[in-house]
Amino acid sequence: MTASDLFIALPELFILVMACLIMLIDLYLPENRRGMVSFISVLTLLFAGIMVMRWQAVDSSTAQYAFNGTFVRDRMADVLKVFCFIVLGAVFVYAKHYLRVFKLMCGEYYVLSLFLLLGAMVLISAASLLTVYLGLELISLSSYALVALNRDDRRGAEAAMKYFILGSLASGLLLYGMSMLYGVTGSLSLSDIAASVAIAGDNVMLVFALVFVVVGIAFKLGAVPFHMWVPDVYHGAPAAVTMLIGSVPKLAAFAMAIRLLDNGLVPMQGDWMAMLTVLAALSIIVGNLVAIAQTNLKRMLAYSTISHMGFLLLGVLAGTAQGYSAAMFYAITYAIMSTGAFAVLIMLSKSGIEAENLDDYKGLNQRNPLLAALMLMLMFSMAGIPVFVGFFAKWLVIQAILDVGLLWLAVVAVVFSVIGSFYYLRVVKLMYFDEPETTDKVTAPADFRFVLTVNGVAQLLMGIFANALIALCVASF
Amino acid sequence: MSIQVLVFYLFGTILTLSALSVITVRNPVYAALFLVLAFFSSAAIWMLLEVEFLAITLVLVYVGAVMVLFLFVVMMLDVNLSRLREGFARYLPVGILVALVMAGELLLVIWTKGAEKLPLPPGNPEGFSNTTYLGERLYTEYLFPFEIAAVILLVAIVAAITLTHRGRSEGGRYQDPARQVQVTRDERVRIVSMPAVKDKENGA
Amino acid sequence: MDMKTLLLLIPLLPLAGSIIAGLLRNQIGRAGAHWVTILGVAASCGLSFYVFKLIALDGMAAINTSIYTWALTDGIRFEIGFLIDSLTVVMMTVVTFVSLMVHIYTIGYMRDDPGYQRFFSYIALFTFSMLMLVMSNNFLQLFFGWEAVGLVSYLLIGFWFKKESAIFANLKAFLVNRVGDFGFLLGIAAIVASFGTLDYAETFARAPEAVGQTISIFGGAEWSLLTVICICLFIGAMGKSAQAPLHVWLPDSMEGPTPISALIHAATMVTAGIFMVARMSPLFELSEVALSFVLVIGAITALFMGLIGLVQNDIKRVVAYSTLSQLGYMTVALGASAYSAAIFHLMTHAFFKALLFLGAGSVIIAMHHRQDMREMGGLRKYMPITFITAWLGSLALMGVPLFSGFYSKDLIIEAVHLAERPGADFAYWCVLLGVVVTALYSLRLLFLTFHGKERMEESVRSHLHETPLVVTIPLILLAIPSVLIGYFTVEPMLFGGFFQDAIYVAPGNDVIGEIGHHFHGPLAMALHAVVTPVFWLVVLGSAAAVMIWFWKPQLATWFAQTLSPLQRMLDKKYWFDEVYQFLFARGSLKLGNGLWRYGDAGLIDGALVNGSAGIVGRLAVLFRHLQSGYLFHYAFAMIVGLILIIAAFVILDKGMLEGIF
Repeated sequence: MTASDLFIALPELFILVMACLIMLIDLYLPENRRGMVSFISVLTLLFAGIMVMRWQAVDSSTAQYAFNGTFVRDRMADVLKVFCFIVLGAVFVYAKHYLRVFKLMCGEYYVLSLFLLLGAMVLISAASLLTVYLGLELISLSSYALVALNRDDRRGAEAAMKYFILGSLASGLLLYGMSMLYGVTGSLSLSDIAASVAIAGDNVMLVFALVFVVVGIAFKLGAVPFHMWVPDVYHGAPAAVTMLIGSVPKLAAFAMAIRLLDNGLVPMQGDWMAMLTVLAALSIIVGNLVAIAQTNLKRMLAYSTISHMGFLLLGVLAGTAQGYSAAMFYAITYAIMSTGAFAVLIMLSKSGIEAENLDDYKGLNQRNPLLAALMLMLMFSMAGIPVFVGFFAKWLVIQAILDVGLLWLAVVAVVFSVIGSFYYLRVVKLMYFDEPETTDKVTAPADFRFVLTVNGVAQLLMGIFANALIALCVASF
Repeated sequence: MSIQVLVFYLFGTILTLSALSVITVRNPVYAALFLVLAFFSSAAIWMLLEVEFLAITLVLVYVGAVMVLFLFVVMMLDVNLSRLREGFARYLPVGILVALVMAGELLLVIWTKGAEKLPLPPGNPEGFSNTTYLGERLYTEYLFPFEIAAVILLVAIVAAITLTHRGRSEGGRYQDPARQVQVTRDERVRIVSMPAVKDKENGA
Repeated sequence: MDMKTLLLLIPLLPLAGSIIAGLLRNQIGRAGAHWVTILGVAASCGLSFYVFKLIALDGMAAINTSIYTWALTDGIRFEIGFLIDSLTVVMMTVVTFVSLMVHIYTIGYMRDDPGYQRFFSYIALFTFSMLMLVMSNNFLQLFFGWEAVGLVSYLLIGFWFKKESAIFANLKAFLVNRVGDFGFLLGIAAIVASFGTLDYAETFARAPEAVGQTISIFGGAEWSLLTVICICLFIGAMGKSAQAPLHVWLPDSMEGPTPISALIHAATMVTAGIFMVARMSPLFELSEVALSFVLVIGAITALFMGLIGLVQNDIKRVVAYSTLSQLGYMTVALGASAYSAAIFHLMTHAFFKALLFLGAGSVIIAMHHRQDMREMGGLRKYMPITFITAWLGSLALMGVPLFSGFYSKDLIIEAVHLAERPGADFAYWCVLLGVVVTALYSLRLLFLTFHGKERMEESVRSHLHETPLVVTIPLILLAIPSVLIGYFTVEPMLFGGFFQDAIYVAPGNDVIGEIGHHFHGPLAMALHAVVTPVFWLVVLGSAAAVMIWFWKPQLATWFAQTLSPLQRMLDKKYWFDEVYQFLFARGSLKLGNGLWRYGDAGLIDGALVNGSAGIVGRLAVLFRHLQSGYLFHYAFAMIVGLILIIAAFVILDKGMLEGIF
């Protein structure tokens, strides 16, 4: 280890130090000053973002390795990390209001979130099977605890338990695959593995290991049939935690897919492409179909996540630089969209009751036109209606699979995104064409409203100026 | 077949059987004891692989600490086994079927194609200390993963405390020694001044 | 400040004003709304004049620059870009100047309206859209501007959305424009399909190669590709510039507030079609057939719409039909390859027609929003400024020598006379007769409004007075160019090679160049007018008008009785509305109903939507039941999934069973 190693991983170290500091600061803060923790956390993210963007050790277009090749910093890592900070910053602002309203205000939320972020960053920058696994576990462990944050809520505890057990099972499967990979190649470093696999050729043991690795990735993304935890966890967790689980870990899961499949197992592209094709198609079909039958917004968004992850996999399975950048674009925009949607849910929630039933959205336009308009933009974007950024995300991944000749998959994707637009538009219909059931005022603090407005309008602006972000994603591969 | 292979299969069999027993025996104390047996067998297999440190750690930490704690819990809590076992028989056939298919697939892969391609690790030189090697590697080559593992443990502590510790505001009874020491007489003793009255007036 | 930023500021300043006035309308109040939009438009106007100076006077080369690439697909760039040349700067200055005048005027006209801020937001937004349209260097942005001005026009016609007739009018405008836009879009699509680009310059460069190419549309008939493109584009222009038979929306658009009629429906938006055809001159010049089509459509509009103006009683509608007729003149000029004359007339017309509309608006304010000329008369002594400026505007419109309209209109008639393509003779007679008609309706409006007996109710008369300064100042400012601009600009603009880089005229078609051989300065042209038929036709029309409406008003009734079938035909506007109503509105209603009942309700809803929705619903319920909530079900699903993947991709895919069985 040298000083330059530390320098390359400086943002990670900074987040670690700050997470520990915040944990200590929280102990000495009186109950009514807990908002400070939120403020410091957002500042931490801001500084970490500056660190990533400003202090590039040498040149970000080439990958830099640190800690004996277990850690890598490249363009993709930098871009994903910055978006992790942005999304998490928004989540922190939204969560502060939520935690206050639900009387859950505690520093642990922020500390665990920052540890989760650290895990995501480790995973994003992983260059070895070991760091992939440890990053994943750090994310998972933090999220298990966060899901059960509201201890008095039986639903949350149940969801956390399910998440924990299924997550352990998936981790076990992934670890099994990794150990087989290590057994065949004799190395933990992803680039060494890629080299050995290329020499080994068509080895059944490797394909067998690959299956377990793919299952691990599929579980983390929530792809069918490894998706069962998603609806229960989304539903059971407090909205502020659901929002978190739907954002940063998705970016990390995308990175995990790229690191393992592209960086590590690219010689086996033909094999994982076939596996992911099945998973992606199933996710798109099942996710969209079941979302229609939901009357609970959190569950609906959970199934919509499943279908979105299917779309994301389309880009990954294309196996081209174009596909990867499309999937990255999808992951980033999805994280932003889903955060915004949960923020609307939080804003509508009253003390102790989350606005999770679709009926709560009836006539929202009459109660708060701005909020309704923002939700409309978010829903349109999720449905993939042109001009909104979600359209470009879908368009890019579909273009990527068309370029590798998977016409039937593209047709499935298009047909089911049309079917899927039904449930997004239903929310819009409820907001604009139904009579409200209550006339309570919908309010939130100014910072919350500001961030939410930016978040909603971003759907439109990112669509109009999609090129900048697309260029950023393309430059990452 | 060398003696090592024989020993491997011996402990392998014990390991598998004891693992099976962990989930099939009715008495949870027995199950925990079978788990101890399974740990011992795997420690023996690790010995075969010349990783003494891990073998010893496994016995010390898992058998010595974790399982003892576990046995305490099992014995203190009166777990209702009949309720836990509901549905076990109902799902058993499907479970066995799935397990068989899985095992079949594994066997097929490992036996037919895989085995011959796995390279053997190079043998260790004379006087090789597994413990020293491990220590060196952990703090040099694998420093970063090692630190991250430490963070994971930290998160586990934070998570455990978050989930179990009820905060001060939630009705727990706590002592505050600082306040106890600073207590003044006035806080504890109230001197009530009462006018002296005669019985006669009072009784009238 | 570099040129790109400056050019970007020109459209963005009005947009900023619009957004502030629109979104913060409650915060900034009424005064804030008009200040922010007027400042935005004024700054934009100043910058436009600066750019005009650079291009037109300092002789700077045309600017063709790309600002932002929105998307790139299959080699076609979708971008935002500016093409600034002599044609653009003329349009920019006209648009921003008239818009500025209208903004100021609106302060007075909309004073008591509850939608004050909304109105300012809309007109500033319109200015932005119109600027984007004229400054564009590609078809995508052109189409965006095209639709955006259409949208704002729709919003503004229906500005008083509680008025039934206004809602009908804006719907009508919207639908009729859709017909035109459909053609326009087809034209753009044909360009993209055949030239593979949206960029003007690239299209024009590739167009000559397409001469002689044909496409078959219906059956085996072969059509010249360029003719199809040009006619499609022109259909778009017909919708936007209200050429017969797509003109029906423009008179009804007068339901909107008067400043809008002046800005959008007289001076700027309706001329977008004219501008577009002039901009596309390199394409149109390659298709003789398309130009003939343009010529004939323009001629019909110029004469027959003017005739309707003779029988209208609503003061704004008279001006509206006059606008239609003048747009016809411009179109005729386009068809005669006299693009520069068309743009020249567009410019002079923008000034004097905006003046006339604002004058009419001024009268309407004074009359407490009564618009029927039969209830006016003798207003000249109550509102002298309006009276004088209206006269000046009308004289310009009639084409009295030395006034701006004279130069532009005379040149168009002369150009048509010289043109040699099929339909030119017909067009020539139409525009000549049109001169008489113009004089008739213009003077009729003046006499009925400002002269003669005072026919209004007593309650109105007692309150009559001149309108406030915010109304009269724009009138005066517009009157100046209405009178003078023709005299000073005719020579540099038409004969000085001003449009050289912007407009292309095929060598054999250069009628303006030919006129230029006999041109000896504006004064000489005015003097020479005395010996041309045009002048005497103006005199004839004026004399007749004076006779009928000034000296002997009973003559008007007599004419109406003797020529009652004709009167009836004009009154009914050639039954266009009735035919459309019957054929398209009712026909499509029936068709729609039929399709709805059998196609939609029966086949699509019944079988496809509800059928597939039923299947989807049932599948959804099935999958929902799989989500039982039991942990072991979930784990079981994962393991089964794992086993299936191994079976499919390891065992079967790698042929591992072959060795065994």
